[in-house]
Amino acid sequence: MGAWLGSPVALIPLLILGAVVAVLLIASGLKDFGLTFWGFQYRFVPGEPDASSWGIGVFLVGTFLTASLSLVLATALSLALAISSVVYLPPLPGRLLSMVTNLLAGIPSVVYGIWGFVVLAPYFGLTLEPSLRDVLGWLPGFGGPASDIGPWGTLLAVFVLTIMIIPLTTALMREALRSVPRDLVEAGLAVGATRWEVVRRVRLPVARNGLWSAVLLGFGRALGESVAVAMVIGGTSIALPPNLYASTTTVASFIFSQLDSALIYPNLFVLLVEFSLVLLVVAVVVNLVAQRFTRVELATATTLGGGE
Amino acid sequence: MKVTTGLGDELTHTSGRMRRRILFDRVIGWVLLLAFAAVFFPLFDLIGWVASYALPTMSWATLTQNQVGTGGGLYAMIWGTLVLITLGTGIAGALGISAGFYTAEFAPPAVKRIARLAGNVLAGIPAIVLGYFGYYALVLYTHWGFTTLAGGIILGVFMLPYIFRTTDIALSNVPPSQREASLALGSSRLQYLRRVAFPIAFPTIFTGVFFAMALGLGEAAPLVYTAGWSSTPVQSLMQPTSFLTGGIWAFYDFPRSFGSFLALAFQAAFLLIVIVLAINIVVQVLSDRYRRRLAGLYE
Repeated sequence: MGAWLGSPVALIPLLILGAVVAVLLIASGLKDFGLTFWGFQYRFVPGEPDASSWGIGVFLVGTFLTASLSLVLATALSLALAISSVVYLPPLPGRLLSMVTNLLAGIPSVVYGIWGFVVLAPYFGLTLEPSLRDVLGWLPGFGGPASDIGPWGTLLAVFVLTIMIIPLTTALMREALRSVPRDLVEAGLAVGATRWEVVRRVRLPVARNGLWSAVLLGFGRALGESVAVAMVIGGTSIALPPNLYASTTTVASFIFSQLDSALIYPNLFVLLVEFSLVLLVVAVVVNLVAQRFTRVELATATTLGGGE
Repeated sequence: MKVTTGLGDELTHTSGRMRRRILFDRVIGWVLLLAFAAVFFPLFDLIGWVASYALPTMSWATLTQNQVGTGGGLYAMIWGTLVLITLGTGIAGALGISAGFYTAEFAPPAVKRIARLAGNVLAGIPAIVLGYFGYYALVLYTHWGFTTLAGGIILGVFMLPYIFRTTDIALSNVPPSQREASLALGSSRLQYLRRVAFPIAFPTIFTGVFFAMALGLGEAAPLVYTAGWSSTPVQSLMQPTSFLTGGIWAFYDFPRSFGSFLALAFQAAFLLIVIVLAINIVVQVLSDRYRRRLAGLYE
């Protein structure tokens, strides 16, 4: 009896998911998903919304650029944190780490945003960016002038995003490294391998799937972050960023920051619906791929992740 | 060269290669520790700066007054946040916990798999997409305009997958021995759930609900497009409302000289940090204590 009675209740999440997709599809009316939409054009004529034209290209580039750069940093750091706390540290500092990452995970994204905007930005503009330009200026992306609106731009967004996704990736990676069967680890140690050799040859290869899904889930989180990015990325210029210091924009942060326009211009409203759909599809695909790798989970990693 | 291995004297007999490997292992251990700076520095820097901006201008009036012109306090936002989070937790708690119970206990395997996958996919949907969905479905389509109710519903949708998945996991992890013992003694499924599974799963479900609450408290993205904004405390669910995260978003880019907008934003940020950290610590302590009481069950 319970089985058929329960099924509809168990499917509440699926129903909500379906509703979100259906409503966005209906709202967009599947209008102009043509070539212009996927292009790089952006021309907004104030007051004359029908004369405006736009493409999602720049926004997608901004999204993938910030998300992948922050993911590279976050992966390196959380891998180090995870290995350190699972393999090298005694239990007490390990617990301390999970406490700190829990606290970091709990800090609201708008608080990261205002911290980045007010506190970090001057440091980036006056110290970090000039020295990066001096040292790494010959690398593509690191040379060139600062943006004319100030220190708010890609690099700051990448930095803030990195800190924001570290708690999630660290929790997932710790879980992956911890779930490596003890026999394998002990077999490695027993034949005389050092802890590091066991990490290299046993733990990392065995936990590979879990680690990859941690990376992907972190990527999904970074893609979808809107508030903090909207606050620090500048977002004024709708053009491909010439270098890392330039202001650009992302799909999520653009949707978030365009409330006023969506209220006034019907065309922009539809555009934002379509942006939401694209973002939704990208996020779902990233998540589905991540879930294929392991049974590590996004939702409970967030709530219970570093809880041990 | 003498290598301190920490492993005792026996290693003085080992070859140079072995020593190099052990040394390398130690060095890596220390190098990896550097990454700790990446989490400790931002946490303390952020909390320190937010406090230093917020505290000098904070007073009792910050909590009890409405925002007036470019000054005043956060009362309307605090009240709005309370109403929204109550609505959200109510909705997400009711739906999420029941969906979790059914998925863990009653659903056939195929339904289980689909429900869990859907829950995790839902958790991965960017909050802003949910917000924009709410804007179309609950603000425009219903002709409600911006309402506290719409904000609460979307906040509930945002929080739901976390509560759902945590409840499901908590119940699925109840040791099978407990279930078998209970059923063998002749209890019905409901009796088993109420008397055996729920008490064991409770600390985890509790943790999930409160973490979801902390997440919901800190989100602005589901709310700006649904709850709207109002500078007076909300009186009915069908009115728009302000909320703490919205306050930060509204005031963060005003220069310091412009009234006390920036101070208000930092005060709201400080308040949010305090609330979220308090929830974190309370949950940790309570669920640890509860778990310790149940520790015997798992042996």
